[in-house]
Amino acid sequence: MPLHPAQRINRFEKNFSAYRLIIVVIISCILMYQDYQKNYLSVLRVYLSASLYPAQYLINLPKNFIQKLDINFSEREALLQENKVLKKDNFELRSNIQQVYRLESENKRLYDLLDSKPKKDNSYIFADIVAVSPIAEKHQIIINKGSRDDVVIGSAVADGNGILGHVIRDQIFGSEVLLISDREHAIPIEIVRTSLRSIAVGTGNYNELRINALATNTDIKKGDILITSGLGGRYPEGFPVGTVKDVINNPGESFLEISVTPFGNLKTINEIWVIQPTTGH
Amino acid sequence: MNHQLRNLFFIWSMILLSIILMVIPVPEVIDQYRLPWLKMTVIFFSIFNVSLIGIISVWFSGLILDILTGGLMGENALILAVLSYLSYRFRFQVRVYPMWQIMIVVLILLSLGELIALWIHGVSGNMFFNIYDWINVGIAVLVWPIFTKVLEKMQSSFLE
Repeated sequence: MPLHPAQRINRFEKNFSAYRLIIVVIISCILMYQDYQKNYLSVLRVYLSASLYPAQYLINLPKNFIQKLDINFSEREALLQENKVLKKDNFELRSNIQQVYRLESENKRLYDLLDSKPKKDNSYIFADIVAVSPIAEKHQIIINKGSRDDVVIGSAVADGNGILGHVIRDQIFGSEVLLISDREHAIPIEIVRTSLRSIAVGTGNYNELRINALATNTDIKKGDILITSGLGGRYPEGFPVGTVKDVINNPGESFLEISVTPFGNLKTINEIWVIQPTTGH
Repeated sequence: MNHQLRNLFFIWSMILLSIILMVIPVPEVIDQYRLPWLKMTVIFFSIFNVSLIGIISVWFSGLILDILTGGLMGENALILAVLSYLSYRFRFQVRVYPMWQIMIVVLILLSLGELIALWIHGVSGNMFFNIYDWINVGIAVLVWPIFTKVLEKMQSSFLE
């Protein structure tokens, strides 16, 4: 039996009914609130992310594959040259490490003398990058190690040069990392030269951090090296963060405008390690 | 393949294709000119072929996008549901418009989407005004005639 014209027009009415819209809007608001507060429903998000991890991997496969291809097809000469440089670097680093052993034992002895608590030992998990967030203002990456490989939320992530960020979300087979240059990120730092502690916040620009809360009479100058201070308990102590690029003292302002260049290559990340805090010996 | 299954397959492959276009890594130069493909697809089907989608399926596609981009869970889902509802409500007026008026409607809808996104970011405490989002809305409106042509072609060749 043919439908009445009015019936035919409104055949799909129930798929677009206002009730459905209202229900969906309410559910979205609840989800957003819960996600923002990071409580009850974070488990749901973990499982949803984990189920979409293969898709994430597949989508990024072409890019990662091309990068691998690039390495495989690079010139023999270039490889030999690189090998030479790496050998030299390795030799230098090895000789430096001999000093480190001595320093470490000395440090331990001094800690014992002071009767202070033992230094925390870190364990490292090596990981590869899977994806970079497609949203320009979100400085997030996804790495290929998650809670299945014992990565815990909050561990710091670094590359060979310095701190990159920390793990904010678990995806079981991978995890999401917030980079230090993200606008929502702040990292407790210490200036090596003066042991002054402060906080460096991200600017949304990959090669710049900013320190906002230092008074104009602070002793800080261009080229000062910043390390993590270990305060706040999120980042382990003593890892390199960046160098001071510029100190601007605006007359009439009560704080200095300090920009910092991070050591880590935030823009072109390849291999990283996740620093896992393990308490005691 | 029966009719219904065919429709389902077609619409979800279109939705997934738009999601992939939104998250696939591209060279940095064109990265900031990433068009809101999923919003465009949803608006198109909510106006021109309402038999294929509903608010619930649109909402789920937004949720997938949120999780893949690492955004606030539910943000894109909410925006897409609202856009889809509005497009559906005005579909009879819009269908008979000439192309330039349809483009204005699309401009209004996409701008509304950006506005809701700004509200959500404002409430969650990180409102960044990114000029490229708005440039991309403009580009999306300009490519809309080509976009609809392509989708209509695909529709007519895949669905009978």
